[in-house]
Amino acid sequence: MDFHSVISNAGQLWSGLIITLELSALTITISVFTGFIVALLSISPYKVVRLPIRTYIEIFRCTPALVQVVWFFYCVPVLFNVFWEPFTMGVIVFSLNLTAYNAEAYRAAIQAVPGAHGDAAVALGLKRTQYYRFVVFPQALRLAVPVLLTNSIGMIQQSALVALVAVNDLMYESKALASQTYRPVEVFTTAAAIYFVISLIMSRVVEFVGKRTRRLIDAR
Amino acid sequence: MTYTFDFAILWKFLPVIGSGLLITLQVALASIAVGAVVGFFLAYIRNYSSFIPAAIATTIVEFLRGVPVLIQLFWVFFCFPVIFGIETSPFFSAFFALMMYMAAICSESFRSAFATIEKEQWDASVALGIPGRVMMLYVILPQSLLRAAPTLLSNAVSVFKESAIVSAVGMADMMFVGRNVSSATGHPIEVLTLIAGVYFVIAFPLTRAVSVVEGRILHRLKL
Repeated sequence: MDFHSVISNAGQLWSGLIITLELSALTITISVFTGFIVALLSISPYKVVRLPIRTYIEIFRCTPALVQVVWFFYCVPVLFNVFWEPFTMGVIVFSLNLTAYNAEAYRAAIQAVPGAHGDAAVALGLKRTQYYRFVVFPQALRLAVPVLLTNSIGMIQQSALVALVAVNDLMYESKALASQTYRPVEVFTTAAAIYFVISLIMSRVVEFVGKRTRRLIDAR
Repeated sequence: MTYTFDFAILWKFLPVIGSGLLITLQVALASIAVGAVVGFFLAYIRNYSSFIPAAIATTIVEFLRGVPVLIQLFWVFFCFPVIFGIETSPFFSAFFALMMYMAAICSESFRSAFATIEKEQWDASVALGIPGRVMMLYVILPQSLLRAAPTLLSNAVSVFKESAIVSAVGMADMMFVGRNVSSATGHPIEVLTLIAGVYFVIAFPLTRAVSVVEGRILHRLKL
């Protein structure tokens, strides 16, 4: 074991880590909002809206993320004659992916609000928009938070896939460094440790938030 | 730039894509089957053994769940030969990495299933003089298997989808074939859409099955 090669090339891994974090942070932030909107559309009473949205969600949930990434990187430039930066492409394709998963989380949470609340809202003379705004969303959002966070942790790990289409994230840089230095054990172990520490911190946050959410729900 | 669609080439490459699918299914099924068993034992150790084995099992699971499967795959492929002095074939690396991933996520499913098995059953087993190993096989396993069935099934779907990454270590699975064929022919849209379609056609009914199984089991157990 000789971690010298890792330490002297720490800058390379660092720049990869920054790309990984930027990519994940952007994707997670975008998908928290788009996921909510898509979830609302997916439970729309109009079939014209609901059907395409459900198809989109199922397609992204039932195909491998790597297939989506490769499809996007190979086909979108050809189909639409656009040439974006690989990083931008990565953010778009992962946002599409995470939005689908987040939408399901929001939808499950919205549908978990008991139907009796709807009856109560009618009895109290709330309008439909008021019912959603003051009764459904406050409860549903709280219920959705733990799942959203879990999805987001998964996203950080999934972001490693972009290395296979030459986005220079942490995974890509560590692969490059491993073959430059012939030190796969040290480099890949370091990279694995970095990913592990990130998701460890994140999962502690999830646990904390989960406990608080449960307390809030129990207190109701 | 104009792109001309040519769906006829798909016919020509159908046998290759089929052989890729076969390899995908082999790797996925092998790691799903073995991973579920390993996952059960990991969960059992975490829940029912003494402190040190439980702590080791927990660390293993946390690590496997906290690190991208892609990096685990590279780790097995590039580092096992250096550390253990054994040559790891792409198939073995792919199988091992996916199997451990399956084991890690299944151990969580089994653990939450264990939580639903009442403490009284332990007392009953002790009272009946049933030894620990017999109890694990005939009391804990059947009940937890039933309760974990929906999550185990959705874990299997995850592993099947995750198996696309094995193309990164040179396994000629469906993803690998798809990428190669689309570069070789210059028709990525047709080829990759077909590949995505095949994955979808397999994964989608399985996710539907998850909710059916969920409904049935919840109904049967009156949970």
